[in-house]
Amino acid sequence: MKVTKEAVAGTLESSDLLVKVAPSDKGTRDIVIRSEVIKQFGKQIRHVVTDTLDKLSVSGGSIVIEDKGALDCVIRARVQAAVLRGCGSQDLDWGSLS
Amino acid sequence: MNATGDFYTVQPKGAPPEMEAIRGLLAANDLELDSQVEVFVLRRQQGRIVACAGLDHYTIKCVAVADDFRGEALSLRLGSEVINLAAARGQFHLFLYSAPHNLPFFRGWGFYPVVEVPERVVLMENSPVAIERYCGSLRERRRPGTNIGGIVLNANPFTLGHRHLVEQAARVCDWLHVFVVKEDASMFSYVDRFSLVAAGVKHIHNLTLHPGSAYIISRATFPGYFLKEKAVIDHSWAAIDLLLFREYIAPALGITHRYVGTEPFDPVTKNYNAEMQHWLRHAASPAPPITVVEIPRAFIGGVPISATEVRRLLAQRDFERIAALVPATTLQLLETKFPAAVTTVQ
Repeated sequence: MKVTKEAVAGTLESSDLLVKVAPSDKGTRDIVIRSEVIKQFGKQIRHVVTDTLDKLSVSGGSIVIEDKGALDCVIRARVQAAVLRGCGSQDLDWGSLS
Repeated sequence: MNATGDFYTVQPKGAPPEMEAIRGLLAANDLELDSQVEVFVLRRQQGRIVACAGLDHYTIKCVAVADDFRGEALSLRLGSEVINLAAARGQFHLFLYSAPHNLPFFRGWGFYPVVEVPERVVLMENSPVAIERYCGSLRERRRPGTNIGGIVLNANPFTLGHRHLVEQAARVCDWLHVFVVKEDASMFSYVDRFSLVAAGVKHIHNLTLHPGSAYIISRATFPGYFLKEKAVIDHSWAAIDLLLFREYIAPALGITHRYVGTEPFDPVTKNYNAEMQHWLRHAASPAPPITVVEIPRAFIGGVPISATEVRRLLAQRDFERIAALVPATTLQLLETKFPAAVTTVQ
């Protein structure tokens, strides 16, 4: 699926993250990650974000992440919430997200 | 830390009792209450307002936290609250103005500097990539040439004066890029203004007509511009808008000259033209200077043509005199949208 409208999820507080999604101009999937711990955990954060998007079959959208040192499970939850809001999706296979 | 406070919102237009406290909190932070704020997020703690952030459409303004409540936790919660409030109001691409020394504070909110008037103010937006993506889309519309012109029109509505300006500029340029101000804050809607410009410049072949954007004379880049009909002219902020043009839009399209009509009536536009010479050309900037060319107004019957004059005549439904100032396409729209007062047929 593709992100069809703008949406946000999360907060800027410590141990959380703010995920902003929007339709992308060319229909591609563009991920931008900013994190206070990018040097220590940048690769892992990107892996979690990419994996979560793959499991949701997100092929198009601009995804901007402001991470404040969130744990992996929080990153997954926030990315899922933002994408589901941005795709206006109701029929979701929660099983595939585990 | 006492975490038992609450965030809530108030709308200044309802004159809530909190306005006095907001004014006080802002004053303590060397800020003034901005009359354009539609809604404030407030934090009440220990019986008083300790933090506030205002929202004017998609621009965050009037952000303050009481001295004795400063700390990462509260300011980041305030940021989250105002970003989520904006989202609930359908605004996702957000801007804010900051004093340069507060830039790190708003970096924590996920805002990135776009353009700075040194030692005065920084315009920030809540994306590290949005302006670059926008410039990328502009670059695809670059045209070859050494003399590339740019014009920004509000065209409220499009007159023979605008047409004259565009024709004059197109004559001396290899290519001309024309932008129509996108903000729907004028008498005529963006859709109407854009279609009238499109119809009015159709005969010019070395021209690209661009949709406007948040980066060209918008509520974010130039809030003062949209106040003029209310005769509130304080800080024009023209510098931010012009530096954005010089540092991002012009380089993306290779624009070397900006064309503008001389302004006989409208003080905001007149002042903008003067500031243009300074910020596009003379001010220090990492971007090369842009030559600003003022083209004398077209006159009809000894009177300069201007959209301000058309709107004045329109208020009196004086279509006869309007007909001399606008192209047929504009006249047609005006007559449709503003029918003369109905007179009873005897």
